[in-house]
Amino acid sequence: MRRGLISWSREEVPPSVLDSRVARLQGEMQAADLGAALVYTSFARPSAVAWLTHFVPYWNEALLVIFPTGAPVLLAAFSKRVLEWIRSVSHLGEVRSAPDLGRAAAVFLKERSPEPSRIGVLELDALPWTVAEPIVRGRFDELVDATGLFASIRQPADDAEVRLARRAAKIAAQALGAIPAGVQRASEVLSALEASARLDGAEEVLPRLAPDLRADATLRRFEGDAPLGERYGVELSVAYKATWVRVAQCFSDNGLPQSWRGAAEWSAQAAARLSETNFSLEPLPPGAPPPGRLTAWTLEACFGSSPLSIAAGSGAPARSVLPAGSLASLSLQLSLDDGPWLRGEPLVVGSGSRPSRRLI
Amino acid sequence: MSEISGNARAERRTRLVAAMADEEIDVLVVAGNPWRSDYLRFALDVTPIEGHAFAFLEREGPGRIIVEHPAEAARLRSEQPQLQVSWSPSPIAETETAIRALGGRRIALAPLAAVPHRLAIGPLGSSVIPTTALLDRLMLRKSSSEIDALRRAAALADQGYVAFCDAARLGRPEYALVADVEAFFRSRGCPENFQILGSGGREVRGMHAPTERRLVAGDLVTTELTPCVDGYYAQICRTLVLGGPSEAQERAFAVYNEALEAGITAVRPGATAGEVARAQNEVFRRHGLGEYVTAEYTRVRGHGLGLYVDGRPAVLEEVDLILEPGMTLIVHPNTYHPEVGYFVHGDSVLVTPEGCEVLTRTRRRLFSVPL
Repeated sequence: MRRGLISWSREEVPPSVLDSRVARLQGEMQAADLGAALVYTSFARPSAVAWLTHFVPYWNEALLVIFPTGAPVLLAAFSKRVLEWIRSVSHLGEVRSAPDLGRAAAVFLKERSPEPSRIGVLELDALPWTVAEPIVRGRFDELVDATGLFASIRQPADDAEVRLARRAAKIAAQALGAIPAGVQRASEVLSALEASARLDGAEEVLPRLAPDLRADATLRRFEGDAPLGERYGVELSVAYKATWVRVAQCFSDNGLPQSWRGAAEWSAQAAARLSETNFSLEPLPPGAPPPGRLTAWTLEACFGSSPLSIAAGSGAPARSVLPAGSLASLSLQLSLDDGPWLRGEPLVVGSGSRPSRRLI
Repeated sequence: MSEISGNARAERRTRLVAAMADEEIDVLVVAGNPWRSDYLRFALDVTPIEGHAFAFLEREGPGRIIVEHPAEAARLRSEQPQLQVSWSPSPIAETETAIRALGGRRIALAPLAAVPHRLAIGPLGSSVIPTTALLDRLMLRKSSSEIDALRRAAALADQGYVAFCDAARLGRPEYALVADVEAFFRSRGCPENFQILGSGGREVRGMHAPTERRLVAGDLVTTELTPCVDGYYAQICRTLVLGGPSEAQERAFAVYNEALEAGITAVRPGATAGEVARAQNEVFRRHGLGEYVTAEYTRVRGHGLGLYVDGRPAVLEEVDLILEPGMTLIVHPNTYHPEVGYFVHGDSVLVTPEGCEVLTRTRRRLFSVPL
């Protein structure tokens, strides 16, 4: 429940990039005969609205309304005096204060779209009932789920998003590098990560820690503190200007174990091998077995309102909507002869002939 | 997890199971997410940090939870080995299936703030409002373990404000102040903090997430810090001046301090939240600033504290919720002042049988950071 820097640089994300994303959505809406699309945003689910408008709520909630033509309208459950700040960090046609968000949305739709038309809702199933109820009561027969439609245009990433991801990856890498040598406690690690990442401009920092890697590789959220073992693992998810990456790295008090070098080499090869035609680290290609047992892995990307969702992984069905050029984060865990080993890194998914591009 | 946290979990469970028995609820289904994790924390002592989460609590047995991410599932299994934890990329559909599998048992769904559309239009939809009200009643009045956690959170907020003052230096961007405070809280084992701030002069109308604006001499720098201890949030609001305060800033502080003291004086068992708001607003009206306690310039005159940063009751004149011992809230007459800009000043308090205990220890003054 934290937010760091929220700002919009027109150089990093030109308005034309956001216009182009909205236009892609509007093209699909027209093809699907949608009279409007509704996209919800909150602290927990900020990514779709941020991708379309650069707006990220530091608290509260909002609903983006997109018509087949024209600029998006944001109904924000913030007080009026926050609207100026919202306008300063986002690219919108209109912003309205809407403390009773669902009711305001129902009235607004009636006002702007009085004739019956199909209204697409991103992740309709998940729309909070407080927001959904007034809309559902008013236009029940016209609401359709637009999750697939949105996912079909969300990836691949454009150049602006890849640049933001590179910056996020750099922030994360520098934060991991800022952990002092010889730290003894989880709180020292977490404090160093927060300080470094937020001073570098991170919007959000989400750390998990396996404090004693030899004993347990589970990445934990910390309330309180714990002593660190001789080996520990850190996973750090970082958002920069609403673009999320996830990285993970292991640390050892006694220098880099030889087994970790081999694991890192294999991991790099495995990451490069991922492509739109191969979302699997299993089965392994001939001649490149991992230096241990691959115990878990995930490939995550953004397709909707959640920053990172599972695209593929151990125990998960692969999605079919992650084309070449998609921005993704690979996380994996190996069981080596001398204990568990974790790695995570962002990448741009390759094609059948082109390897994935690693961002760290 | 601390011993106190373990006590709080057991206390909450006992109260919740008794309430379920009174209402003849066999299974309670509680929805949550990283923003609205309060009801999940109360019911099952879990805090999701990514994705949806749905808990199933029966009057007996260990409880079950469905989450959206395998890493979250692994983490929760590690935190509470007795829990039945599963994950699904479609947790809402999975929860719907699990509810259906419960057959003819009496099932209730909550809270209104986190229940998704798909579950609300199902057979449990009519249970959402009464079950949310039941949980709200339980969560408003804090047990001794809960109050202990809030006391520690308030003490941490006091320390956090010292870190904030140290961080507020000429030329630094707003986000650097947040970086320093977050690093401080992490160094104290604090996993969550809600913080907003503002800086500048008369042009500043509120607080927000930090920007790249750099502090200049004469700025009023406002902040609201809300660290979390064992799941419970306490808040402090203070304003500082970069350099020596002007006469106008000193005059404004005197009004806000008078309003805060009036609000705190009004906090006692039997008073309403509305009376606490009115006591603060009357001070502004007496000083000819009544316009600035309207919705045009401010949101609330305080709010409940607990497992959520902005809980019930909202301290507004029209709110008739009656205060009872064990309730915790922040009293904050935060609003715009026409001479100096947005100004904040607030303390966390506990309603006691005798009246009110102020949990915040930081002095009530207009802080000044030397240039």
